[in-house]
Amino acid sequence: MAEYKLLLKHSDDPATQTLAGYKKAGGYSGLAKALKMERQAVIDEVKTSGLRGRGGAGFPSWIKWNGLPKEKVKPHYVLCNADEGEPGTFKDKMLMETAPFQLIEGMTIAGFAVQGDVGYIYIRGEFIDAAKALRKAIDEAYANNLLGKNILGTDFSYDLHIHLGAGSYECGEESALMSSLMGERGMPRLKFPHAPLPTVSGVWERPTLINNVESYSCVPHIIDKGGEWYATLGASTKNSRGTKIFSVSGHVNKPGNYEIEFGTPLKELLEMAGGVKGGKLKACIPGGSSMPVIKPDAVDVAIIGYEEMGEVKSMVGSGGCMFFNEHTDIVMLAWRTAHFYANESCGKCTPCREGTRWMVQIMDRIVAGNGQKGDMELLTEVANNVEGRSFCALGDAAAWPIKAFIRQFPEEFEYWIEHGKSPVTSKEALALVP
Amino acid sequence: MAAATDIQTVNIIVNGIELAVPKGELVVEAVKRLGLEIPIFCYHPRLKPVGMCRMCLVETGMKNPQDGTIRMMPKPAAACTLPVSEGLVINTESDALKKDRKGVLEFLLINHPLDCPICDRGGECPLQNNTLFYGPATSRFIEQKRHNVKAYPLSDYVTLDLERCIQCARCIRFTEEISGDSQLAFRFRGNKTHPITFNETKFTSKFSGNVIEICPVGALTNRKYRFRARPWDLQTSEAVCLNCSNGCNIWFDHRAGKVVRINARTNEAINEEWTCDKGKFGHDYYNDEKRLETPFARTGDELQKADYATVYAKLLEAFHGDNTGMILGDSLSNETYITAQNFFTGQLGSHNIDYRFSANQAKGASTVDNSIASLELAKTTLVFGTHLADDLPIVFLRVRKGWFNQGTQVILATDRSDEVSEFAAHTLVYKPGTEATIAKAFAGQVSVADAAAKCGISEPELQAAITAAAGATVITTTSLNHEAAEVLKALDGNFNAYPTGANERGAQLALACDGLSALEQLKKAANGELSALWVVGVDLFSVGLPREEVIRALENVDFLAVQDSRRTETFYYASVALPMTLPAEQDGSYTNCEGTTQQMKAIIPPVGQAKPAWRVFEELSIRVNPRMPFSQASEILASAPAFA
Ligand SMILES: Cc1cc2nc3c(=O)[nH]c(=O)nc-3n(C[C@H](O)[C@H](O)[C@H](O)COP(=O)(O)O)c2cc1C
Ligand code: SF4
Ligand code: FES
Repeated sequence: MAEYKLLLKHSDDPATQTLAGYKKAGGYSGLAKALKMERQAVIDEVKTSGLRGRGGAGFPSWIKWNGLPKEKVKPHYVLCNADEGEPGTFKDKMLMETAPFQLIEGMTIAGFAVQGDVGYIYIRGEFIDAAKALRKAIDEAYANNLLGKNILGTDFSYDLHIHLGAGSYECGEESALMSSLMGERGMPRLKFPHAPLPTVSGVWERPTLINNVESYSCVPHIIDKGGEWYATLGASTKNSRGTKIFSVSGHVNKPGNYEIEFGTPLKELLEMAGGVKGGKLKACIPGGSSMPVIKPDAVDVAIIGYEEMGEVKSMVGSGGCMFFNEHTDIVMLAWRTAHFYANESCGKCTPCREGTRWMVQIMDRIVAGNGQKGDMELLTEVANNVEGRSFCALGDAAAWPIKAFIRQFPEEFEYWIEHGKSPVTSKEALALVP
Repeated sequence: MAAATDIQTVNIIVNGIELAVPKGELVVEAVKRLGLEIPIFCYHPRLKPVGMCRMCLVETGMKNPQDGTIRMMPKPAAACTLPVSEGLVINTESDALKKDRKGVLEFLLINHPLDCPICDRGGECPLQNNTLFYGPATSRFIEQKRHNVKAYPLSDYVTLDLERCIQCARCIRFTEEISGDSQLAFRFRGNKTHPITFNETKFTSKFSGNVIEICPVGALTNRKYRFRARPWDLQTSEAVCLNCSNGCNIWFDHRAGKVVRINARTNEAINEEWTCDKGKFGHDYYNDEKRLETPFARTGDELQKADYATVYAKLLEAFHGDNTGMILGDSLSNETYITAQNFFTGQLGSHNIDYRFSANQAKGASTVDNSIASLELAKTTLVFGTHLADDLPIVFLRVRKGWFNQGTQVILATDRSDEVSEFAAHTLVYKPGTEATIAKAFAGQVSVADAAAKCGISEPELQAAITAAAGATVITTTSLNHEAAEVLKALDGNFNAYPTGANERGAQLALACDGLSALEQLKKAANGELSALWVVGVDLFSVGLPREEVIRALENVDFLAVQDSRRTETFYYASVALPMTLPAEQDGSYTNCEGTTQQMKAIIPPVGQAKPAWRVFEELSIRVNPRMPFSQASEILASAPAFA
């Protein structure tokens, strides 16, 4: 299998960043088609397509869409999660910078389907270029009756705003994103069954739809070419349909975003990215830094699909796929990962606030050469006490990788603990250690 | 199982036991119906649940209504945020939960200083208690603990120790949800997260003391109590706060006969579980250096210690008939007022007995349609001419609770904006002295345009407030301008002119006030027309009268008797003086602003020879007219029909 450019098709042609160019490339035919359909038919089309959320969790998108009240009492909000904070993931950035209209069209169709009144794109604060590209595109869409009052002469009116975050990974968690959007601290909110679903009472206690940039960007294609057609992509997998963009980075010759059909072997993704650079493959984190690391034998057999990746004990996640060559010190990688999640913990709940720091302290001690017997077990225990006990999934995101690093590479930890130095001694390795 | 008709119930299973509970009740509350207790830190029944500490984790599952099978969830859930629903299955005890609880406590303790031996909270600390019951015996933590600011003075009353803090946000939520001043907030994130005031300004909330009590650790401590005692060395007694008319129920903690701290005691009808700072921290007067310990009598220019017999003789010689007067403070016990009236009018024959110092109070008595608790149910409330958080702090909390919980529309009309303006739908700031005009505008007795111009309010604002206030429950105090009060009383809604003196209400019930008013007595005294004046439990220099007038009255009266707990400024003018006990040193009853009469028992011994004022009146009374005196406070109250 090769790359399958559905969403990234526009990215190759800068002309599509203008409305005229986007339309010429087939853009906005999805919206035109949707506006002639019944709202429910649009939702059904998304259901037929089998689209699952691209933000990380892979939740069937149509269920959210269908969850907003059909009898509208209060305004409905449509949110786009463009916080893209997961280390190793940079696909949303590219989609916004190079195909802003695709996202806008997708969000407009979503707005139509769920009777949305206002949409917000919550963009990671550092993504200034993405925000600029979207600003330009939104202005153009307004000027051409593709946003605002009575879109394309119908009675559907819809506003779209950009909101830049202030730099917090946690604000990508959907409920924390809503807190942040409302001007509160970026801390997660109670979720179902502790509180109503966001589709019933989300941001400003109004029915709210929230999806990832890539999820919305799929929508114009699904409507334009039909859900059934979309579902033919990835048909070889159990339950993953369409394409997925993988941000490939690390020790590969051609890092970058690669869009593939679900069902593509992971090995082929590596080949697309030009293969491993500077040595043999040692490890792969397939779906963003919070996902469990896998070893080369698993990379060889892994098939990209939400269920299929489970077979090698990892996940598709957000598609931040990192490959590491033989000169990589896994303990240092774990150390770096632990630091990231401890820095990004919002502090709301005990396990994440305290556990992530404790893990960092143990890792710090190990890489300072002061590891002790029992540290691996303790790290795993601490991770276990965080996992599934924290308020939101950031705790899981911090615990999973640590547990996986220890599970997959125990000998490297043992070496560090026993000898107080790295087991990786090659010349190339030094450059990689911070 | 029969479901109650008015509240919807759902069937749940707790530890294998089926029970029906009100739909939507939180699991942490629902299990209490079986006598079970789930350990908590951040959850507080009077604050919105947040699910932050994760101490309350339980196992949950669902019973399939068709085949009755139970499917348990893979992850534990917080009991403090989970509302019950039909078929919910809860396990509160299991090996996995034991491990979870240990895990959470271990996390909370790794960065906790474990300085219990020198912590005020030691011995009454939820963190200690939960650790004892559910925590690990030893720590696996060998790293550096997180260091943070210790003993940081948040205000004159509250100290913050951030190393002890477990980031439960109870204190923050209190200031956001209950007191409404939002003075505390989290700063920073991750493991640096901690509560603090904005920009580290002083924590000036009028209800700051409550956060000390709801803090589940010793992070917030009471500066007046810090290091003064260990909880187990304290004796505690039920008491009523007499620092204002709300009558908060309190725990009076004392040691070796001295008060050391005040904590709130729950009374749902009055203060729920809160106090204001005046009540919580204002107990210095018990240990005041100026406590009066013996009777005094004047010889020439000097006040000298004397015995009761000497002073009694002088009193009985000086006081008889309508040329004498008695002025009492408004925070004395009902028994004092009842016996004062009996003695002064019944035995000594003077009708000049009064407790009021403002012209407005003198005209109208308090009128109360609403109990404190019922204020939280009001649809619309008009707060008029009072600064509630100062004058009636607990009434303030109720009014705010009504707004916060069920959206009471509050209209404020006053001479400056205050805490109520923060949530009032309309705030009218009128020029001081124009109360009557604005009241008439509410009653439609003057044109809105005229009233607006006179009171310095914009006409549309006044009109909007008047429209909104239709049928409102009016809240004001007995010191409101009499004319304004009469107008507001005649409006459609409930009318409440609450007294602000701690037992003003009791004085009003017990005293006839059919002779010279306090102000008239002082005027007469100043003109040398009063032969004797008896001042009980009030310093005339601190009731808002011009100093020169008070001095003239005290210097020109022939005989001045002062009965007080301390050497007040008035005391120094006395011909004779008698030491008086304070509420915690005597049995007595007090009637709060809404009219609830509450009993208090003597808790600590009286200072020196101090006696309850009523006992002095009784002892004098039998000297005039021998009979069986009242020997107990309760007999006195029972004898007074006004308190039946
Ligand atoms: C700690 C944390 C961070 C997250 N960050 C992001 C993010 O940056 N972007 C994103 O799309 N989803 C993120 N998510 C997932 C969102 O919560 C949510 O599942 C997603 O926005 C839903 O959109 P989708 O259904 O289209 O995937 C994060 C989740 C967690 C727990
Ligand atoms: S100071 Fe006390 S109440 Fe406030 S967050 Fe810390 S532990 Fe909780
Ligand atoms: S008591 Fe439930 S999470 Fe704190």
